[in-house]
Amino acid sequence: MKIAVCLKQVPDMESKFKIVEDKKIDESQIAFKINDFDNYAVEAALQLKEKFGGEVVIVTCGPERAAKDIRQAFAMGADWGIHVMDPAVEAGDNFVVASTLQKAIESIGGVELVLTGVQAEDDQAAVTGVMLADLMGWPHCTNVKKLEVNGTALTVNRELEGGLNEVLEMSAPAVLTVQSGINEPRYPTLPGIMKAKKKRLDVKKAADIGASAASKTDFIKMFFPVSDHKAEILQGDAATVAAKLVEKLKNEAKVI
Amino acid sequence: MAKILAIAEHRNGKLTDATLELCKAAKALASALGAEPAAAIMAKDDALAKEVAKYIPTVFCVADGALEGYTADGYTQAIKAVVESQDVKGVLIPHSYDGVDYAAKVAMAIGAGIVSNCNKARVDGGKVIFTRNTYNGKIQEEKSVNTDKFVATFEKGAYDMEAAGGAGAVTAVSASIANVRTKSKGIIETMAGAVDISQAKVIVSGGRGCKDADKYKEFIVSLAQKLGGEYAASRPVVDSGWTDAARQVGQSGKTVAPDLYLACGISGAIQHVAGMKGSKCIVAINKDPEAPIFNIAMYGIVGDLFEVIPQIKEKL
Repeated sequence: MKIAVCLKQVPDMESKFKIVEDKKIDESQIAFKINDFDNYAVEAALQLKEKFGGEVVIVTCGPERAAKDIRQAFAMGADWGIHVMDPAVEAGDNFVVASTLQKAIESIGGVELVLTGVQAEDDQAAVTGVMLADLMGWPHCTNVKKLEVNGTALTVNRELEGGLNEVLEMSAPAVLTVQSGINEPRYPTLPGIMKAKKKRLDVKKAADIGASAASKTDFIKMFFPVSDHKAEILQGDAATVAAKLVEKLKNEAKVI
Repeated sequence: MAKILAIAEHRNGKLTDATLELCKAAKALASALGAEPAAAIMAKDDALAKEVAKYIPTVFCVADGALEGYTADGYTQAIKAVVESQDVKGVLIPHSYDGVDYAAKVAMAIGAGIVSNCNKARVDGGKVIFTRNTYNGKIQEEKSVNTDKFVATFEKGAYDMEAAGGAGAVTAVSASIANVRTKSKGIIETMAGAVDISQAKVIVSGGRGCKDADKYKEFIVSLAQKLGGEYAASRPVVDSGWTDAARQVGQSGKTVAPDLYLACGISGAIQHVAGMKGSKCIVAINKDPEAPIFNIAMYGIVGDLFEVIPQIKEKL
């Protein structure tokens, strides 16, 4: 089975973010990593490859720094990748990214299944995978918590509210957006890391693959949320804050 | 007149709370844009359409046997039929599990830009400006569309629920639903477990900051036991298998409202907060002073839970 995995590099969400001119985050103090949901998609693809053979191709839109995390997926076991490195795509919205991913996946040829994370941790949009499916003319399922493949027949569990799952049947080719917890992503091994350095990574501009979509949304500005509520922060060392908390829970909030 | 269309979602023959919130949103946006608020409902028959009409003056109903259960293909074709026949300017969709599955497909089908996961919308010079959460709730952004029509999904709680009271008109819209490529085999319960944390008065909940299964047990479980309460977890803890799914709090898990909810090493992502914001007293212990959990907690401790929790146990 030939599987493409769309992977995005995102900041570590525990970073201390600084906003520059209301427009972007200051990247100088930020560590980047594979979008957590995409990491589960990589693992799901690798498990299918181990079961049925085939190959796993990583497809990423992003700046130069994203290559580090494409190679991370290579070290986990992915075979090769396409890295669309183009400022016009980076400035584009989810529709531009979906259109670019479509062209990249079509350029691979013979892809039977596309896996990606349900959303990116940074933009939290959860739309790119669905748009990609629509552009490919393929069915999709989002929030996938379980996946069984039998030839071209797919049986998937779609996560719903309150601990429910819907069980769905559909046919490949399809796009599935994976929810966290579907598997336990592996860590790269040392030999895997060594091999990853030599794996093929095609760097492309949007024009190289015939991608030229324009954004349908405009970014206006970003800002830190202003909360009308802030917790009363207890000050002091561990022993002091613990004592203060217990006292407040007993006598102020009266909940213990 | 152009319409702002709220999509009504329903499960087990009942409208979801998010539907009532979107009726409120559609009214607010329509009023600011000089448009007309409306809703659309997709179902096997028109039984629920009259229920929607209690909340909004105009309801379009696409009734078709193929719409008995939710499918992305079915919903998209039905919503497209309403949009194309009724001068719809904007489509509002809950950022629910179903909404995430079809909203972007609807946007593609009607050639509209989509802004998803919004928590606010305002109108400025005839343009709708949407506010949405990004970076795990740490940063907000404003976006708009540059297309004639827009699609927006709203997170739960973005608007208050509209109160019933009206008796709007229901108009049938026909759509030919064909080529539905996913087939539902039913809905299953994945969190069946002996424990029911929703009844506990005190809940100690651990998140990613607990580091591993042993530490989760050593710090979270033991503090819960000392307090005579239940232990619970945010999604990453359950994903990692440190505790069972029946103890997961949040949108995809249990909704709880204890007297005391002690969130340890939990950042406070909106999906988690949705399951515990009704708690009487929320305490947050987190190393990251910018964690959104501090925006809903009554008391906060910025510090290392592995140092603080043993001290709390000692003082109890």
